[in-house]
Amino acid sequence: MEILQYALRKFITGIPLIIGVTLISFLLMVYFGPDKTYELVGKNPTPEQIQEVRHQLGYDKPFVTRYLEYLKELVTFDFGYSDSTGERVNSILARTVPISLALIIPGFVLGNLLGIALALVAAYHRGRWWDKFIMGGSVVGMSVSFLIVIIAFQIIFSSNDGLGWFPVRGWNVYNFWDYLRYVTVPTLATVFVALGYNTRFYRAVIVEEMGRDHVRTAKAFGTPPGELLFKHILKNAMIPIITRIMFSIPLVVISGSLLLESYFGIPGVGLVTYDAITTGDQPILKAVVGITAVLFVVVLILNDIFYKLVDPRVSLK
Amino acid sequence: MSKRIRALLTLIFILLLGGCTDGPDTAGMKIYRHSLTGSPTSIDPAQSATLYANHVVVNVYDTLYRYKYLARPYQIAPNLAEALPEVSEDGLTYTIRIKKGVEFIDDPAFPNGKGREVTAADFVYSMKRHFDPKTRSQGSWFWAGRIKGMEAWKKAGSDYDREVEGLKALDRYTIQIILNKPFPQLVHTLAQGYAAIVPREAVEYYGREFSVHPVGSGPFKLQRFDSVGVVLLRNPKYRREPIDLAYEGYDEAIHGKYGIKEIDGKIPPLVDRLEIHFIKQSLSRWNSFTKGDEIQYAGIPKELLDDVLAQKQPDIVLKPEYAEKYFMTSGYENGFVHTDFNMRDPEIGYNKDKKREEMNHALRCAIRYAYDWDDRNKKFYNDMGFVFPGIIPPVVPEYDPKASRESLRHDPAKGRKLLEEAGWTTESLPTLTYGGVAQVDTRQMFEQFRGWLMKIGYPKEKVKLDAYASFGDFNRAVKKAKIKIVGMGWGLDYPDAENTLQLFYGPNGSPGSNNANFNDPEYNRLYEKTSVMQQSPERTRLYRRMNQIVQDACVTISGLSRRQIFLWHKDVISFPDQSIVGGFHLKFVDVKEAQK
Repeated sequence: MEILQYALRKFITGIPLIIGVTLISFLLMVYFGPDKTYELVGKNPTPEQIQEVRHQLGYDKPFVTRYLEYLKELVTFDFGYSDSTGERVNSILARTVPISLALIIPGFVLGNLLGIALALVAAYHRGRWWDKFIMGGSVVGMSVSFLIVIIAFQIIFSSNDGLGWFPVRGWNVYNFWDYLRYVTVPTLATVFVALGYNTRFYRAVIVEEMGRDHVRTAKAFGTPPGELLFKHILKNAMIPIITRIMFSIPLVVISGSLLLESYFGIPGVGLVTYDAITTGDQPILKAVVGITAVLFVVVLILNDIFYKLVDPRVSLK
Repeated sequence: MSKRIRALLTLIFILLLGGCTDGPDTAGMKIYRHSLTGSPTSIDPAQSATLYANHVVVNVYDTLYRYKYLARPYQIAPNLAEALPEVSEDGLTYTIRIKKGVEFIDDPAFPNGKGREVTAADFVYSMKRHFDPKTRSQGSWFWAGRIKGMEAWKKAGSDYDREVEGLKALDRYTIQIILNKPFPQLVHTLAQGYAAIVPREAVEYYGREFSVHPVGSGPFKLQRFDSVGVVLLRNPKYRREPIDLAYEGYDEAIHGKYGIKEIDGKIPPLVDRLEIHFIKQSLSRWNSFTKGDEIQYAGIPKELLDDVLAQKQPDIVLKPEYAEKYFMTSGYENGFVHTDFNMRDPEIGYNKDKKREEMNHALRCAIRYAYDWDDRNKKFYNDMGFVFPGIIPPVVPEYDPKASRESLRHDPAKGRKLLEEAGWTTESLPTLTYGGVAQVDTRQMFEQFRGWLMKIGYPKEKVKLDAYASFGDFNRAVKKAKIKIVGMGWGLDYPDAENTLQLFYGPNGSPGSNNANFNDPEYNRLYEKTSVMQQSPERTRLYRRMNQIVQDACVTISGLSRRQIFLWHKDVISFPDQSIVGGFHLKFVDVKEAQK
């Protein structure tokens, strides 16, 4: 009950955040975003046709009216139809978000788990050969562009010039075996890049935790390394780790990964969002921005709840 | 395992399964996997403005006419129509009979989900849609002002139950079109995706979402459409019309090596499943193509041309290791790239001050002399483009191979002299804006262009790039005549020079297709005169005269037709075409082996 009350209270205080985010992004969309009109008119339009399309897009309405309509759409979760394809925005999201999730989750989970594991090893062997090796690898992961990694992995693992073990492109996923075939190379690319950032961050957090009095005391009592790392260090370092993971979730859920989807031909939400940004498809952009804002507020709440779960000293007030 | 971890793993597993879909049984199916370099947004025929959209539209819908599979230059053939139209003596009344017994695919939009017969009334409805503002038609300009009573119908509220004088279904299978004035290109326009025939029930049933739920009577029906591709399945109800290769323009010398003879007498479509993959990244497309079991058709990435080709000129030749695996054909695009001056801008175009207008003319001509087509061709088109004078490209019958090439001459010294003679000085020269979409290519083209201008004495700081974030923004600036110099490309809708000559017809000025806003009384008069003429030596003569007027006015720097190279796997029987309409050849594509 205490958690529910807290969540409700926190959600209400998150409403101004949602309004702020949507207002600023809608302002940018309307005044600085691409004008969809000139994508929709033909090669030889008349001024009347241009006016008709502007009217249908709602461009001739006052900004306040359009923004209020946007808020109504967000509350009712009905974002209308895409200005490009004419398909219902909700249908597009329902079709593409699960694909993006299925694409990104393995890399996200593995990237974080391996990052934590490597960070523990590096931190435990701080300043020694293992630490330098892992941190050197992290720098490589961070330095190489994601695009280069994708192209290189596609050539190495998928193309006929390389091993040719996996499909180059596509998403013909009808069973778990298909899924593994299509998701492996994108996941490897994601993990390769994510590991660099994750390991460095988690190592810094763990190293800080290792310097604490209770860790020194446990070490002095002869606590074995495994117990020391997992029980005394990792558990106490969980708050920044949870924060980092939780705040990545809204972007993972809604933004997908444009580069992965483009290069591997995967029909996820990342491609749809990118196309919407470059062509000014406002109904889709409004949905993506609005849902991301709401998800951030939800994540903020869940984050606090997780804090309490891992650290009983935290109070939900 | 703790309960929490088990719950978390279960949740992750469920989320992963969300990416799986119901699987098709493709065993025994003939599957052809095509690829395109871009993607359509809408597959509503009324919005099929791109080659990409037409690849889907003309394969799921029927048009009255089509182009013959192999005949080049392109030849019109009846499709849903029984024969070519009967045209009245005055060229104003067209009577077209359509085939009987053709049915739309089964779809929930119809009573009991059963597709009904296609009738003349469906064509009338489909054409009327273009003049209903709710449709957001991109193709209405083909017929605007040409069909008797259509504008009045639109003005009266686009009521589909109201008759249009010039567009009637005389009976269940006979269409009558009455024009305001002769329009010799009408039949060509009826072969475009825009003219595809849609059933009213489906438009009303799906509403806005009709654009992603095609219901047609074409050779295929849609199974899936998303941002990375489209999957079409054979339409089992498609009419059974055996292929007559001789009629389609088969020439043993040209087509024999591709094994096309094998399809003679077969009934299209020849594959059970047609996949069209939209792949913008050239390397990814190439990797998929060379993989062997993925896409079966692609071009060659610019960066790999030297690795794949043994020879680029005069003929394109593949290296033996590629020739062993793939078929290849190449040809010039049905269109061209050109750079227009905005004549509505008084600093470079028309001016109330006649002296200044003359100076502007000299300025435009000087810039044209600065332009180096050879260099542009080498740097951006792999030295494989075809450079021709004016706006009548080599693919149309009216092209004149003997025309003067003066407008293509690269002569900076002459350009500099022209500026001096006209009285231009470094100080008085206007600042030029070169517009384009913010892309690396645009920036590189601009830098090259600026370099040429500096050779005729143009100060570097007076040549600026106006880069726009999206094509929509760029197009808005063009349509509002805000850019001085515009680099453009035009793909011909049909193989008749009228389609490019209209680009410089005065009344088509911005926001119309005449981006140069050229408005020359003599040119306009000739355009109006020729627009009602059937193809004839006299019309060709007048077309060429108009071409010369545009060159003399130095209103455009034109043009270059890009060379396209198509590769396809040897287990595919095809003669690809990506120039006119887009994808009309796909129903004739066959593969040698079915899926195991």
